[in-house]
Amino acid sequence: MNLEKVISGFFIILALTMNFGFFYGDPTVLEQHNRYELFIAIIVNLIATIYKLGDKTHLGAVLLATSLVADIQLIAAASVWALGEYVTGLNTEMVTAIVSLSGGALLANIVSVVLFTGDVLKSKR
Amino acid sequence: MRNNSLYLIIKRMRTPMYVLIVTFSISILGMVLIPGVDDQGNTYHLTFFDAFYFVSYMATTIGFGESPYQFTYPQKLWVGFTIYLTVIGWLYAIGSIITLVQDKVLAAQIALAQFQRKIRKMDEPFIIFVGYNSMTKAIIDKLTQDGIRSVIIEKNEEKIKLLALENYTIEVPALVGDISDPNVFRIAGIHKHNCRAVVSLFNDDVMNLHVALSAKLMNKHVTVIVEATEDEYAQNLKTIGADIVENPFKIIAKRIYLSLKSPSLLMLEQWIYGDPLVLRKKDKLPREGKYIVCGYGRMGTALEVGLKRAGIDYIFIEASPKKAAKAKRGEKVMVGDADDKKILLKADVQEASCIIAATKDDLLNLSIIMAAKRINPDIYTVARENRINDAIVFKAAKIDRVITIETLMVKKTYNTIARPLADRFLRLINYRGEEWGKRVVELLKEKIGNNPDTFETVIDEDHAFALVRHMKKCEEDIPYEILCRRRDNWKMCNSVLILYIKREDEEILLPDPSLPIKFGDRILMAGERESFEDVEYIMENINELCYVLSGRECELSFLGRLFLGRGKNGDSCSKVA
Repeated sequence: MNLEKVISGFFIILALTMNFGFFYGDPTVLEQHNRYELFIAIIVNLIATIYKLGDKTHLGAVLLATSLVADIQLIAAASVWALGEYVTGLNTEMVTAIVSLSGGALLANIVSVVLFTGDVLKSKR
Repeated sequence: MRNNSLYLIIKRMRTPMYVLIVTFSISILGMVLIPGVDDQGNTYHLTFFDAFYFVSYMATTIGFGESPYQFTYPQKLWVGFTIYLTVIGWLYAIGSIITLVQDKVLAAQIALAQFQRKIRKMDEPFIIFVGYNSMTKAIIDKLTQDGIRSVIIEKNEEKIKLLALENYTIEVPALVGDISDPNVFRIAGIHKHNCRAVVSLFNDDVMNLHVALSAKLMNKHVTVIVEATEDEYAQNLKTIGADIVENPFKIIAKRIYLSLKSPSLLMLEQWIYGDPLVLRKKDKLPREGKYIVCGYGRMGTALEVGLKRAGIDYIFIEASPKKAAKAKRGEKVMVGDADDKKILLKADVQEASCIIAATKDDLLNLSIIMAAKRINPDIYTVARENRINDAIVFKAAKIDRVITIETLMVKKTYNTIARPLADRFLRLINYRGEEWGKRVVELLKEKIGNNPDTFETVIDEDHAFALVRHMKKCEEDIPYEILCRRRDNWKMCNSVLILYIKREDEEILLPDPSLPIKFGDRILMAGERESFEDVEYIMENINELCYVLSGRECELSFLGRLFLGRGKNGDSCSKVA
């Protein structure tokens, strides 16, 4: 067992689950989406990204790319939220934007986990 | 995805990044969770944005104050804790990033990347030099003046730093690298089609062999120019396909032989190497009497061959019994220190006509010459100078003839790279003998003077546009003689002499002026610089060519055809007059 694999696997999957937890719910109702969950999703995603840095393989490069996509989408969601709350006021349009941005990040995270598990299966151990 | 060190560096940045993210997220979360009191006395929670904003300026030690309201004591407690947490984390991260920027590995990687970009962008032909020393420096100097680009591979970083001080008009990229790693050659661009040659002039034959082998294996089309002073290495180099193997001692021995047997050929050779076409006092070796050669090393053995061929009586003095023992039976080799008076007397220095100090130690050579002169003031002295830097002392010693190995190598290598035809010409004239040489020297002196220049060119679209066009159009033979005509008066001849023409596999020395020009001919001429300009004009400019062919200014064939109906003979196909 490789401890580094455990930790990186933990963060990659936690990034997905956290992201899903935030995304799940009525996309027009902000109360069904917890702000703490978004915060933790961003942090965990960032940590997962750093874990993927410096991997020389082709797979490593694709994993890093998916992670970067998820980061950007989640940070965009948080920014839209902050913008809505302080500048324009939160309307339904804003709320759906927040949730759908996190939905995009969710897709990227799913791809990331699929690639990760695929790599694990391929190594036959 | 090739740079290992770059990945290592990125990996090293991971820890500081973790520290940053974790400390920031802990602080932000704490700030959001701990309730505060606003200016109306109501309890509130900081939003994530507020917390992020506050922590960001706190951690970076900017510190705008407490916002949006004054903090309560529980909040201040948490802030007190997080100040230490985040500021330490931040300083640690910044510190490691700055260390990384100063990292030597990273700096080397950046330098390497820059070098690779320069090589990638280089479209012109270039030469790779292995090792940067006084010799290669002199060659690169000369080549840059001719506009030929060079690339340097050098093991010692300090020397490359010195290179930056040189003021070359065209950039000379340099790579720090050890040639024992074949990858270095690939980085230097040996696989590129415009890499013309690899030059290796180490004193150490093993190194040269190594370079030649790697270079030939990586790109068999590249010309490999190496120095080899020992015969076995020269043989090895030839078998692995090194194109040009230079042995300075053989050149010296040949020159000694030539100066004894055919001074005209020596004049020609020295002229091709850049000296004036005259025989100086130092070139006239005594033809009779005994020669004493000090040193039976690489140069000594080479001289042995030359002197024997010239039929000169000689004796060797060698300090090392080991080297002396290598001599063939019947060779006269004395063992002893050559600057020792007794040994010199034993070798009959008072009777000898010439002494050659040929050891690899410059100071020893000087002291040999001084000692010999003291005994026999009339003796003709020849000394080997190993390092260019010693030139001043050698000059002061008033030696009749100083042979500088490095200068010789510089000139030889420059010739093979920049003037291949002249180099080939030299090889060919060796078989022609003194009579022929005398004729050529006389011809040169009569036509041009004591210091002709040389000029090499090719009959092709790039160098002889007008000529090639004319030959294609009119399908008549044009003799070489027209190249020698003057641009301002076609009946007069320029001071130009065509020395050598290479036509595919055919080699023509001193061609007859009536020889027809053929596409693809490579020409070596001697003459004055201004005359070469005329030659180039005639080859490239349609009007000039037309004038020297017919003696008439070229008619504007297009207008002529249009208005005067003289299209057919108005064109440039006039007969050679």
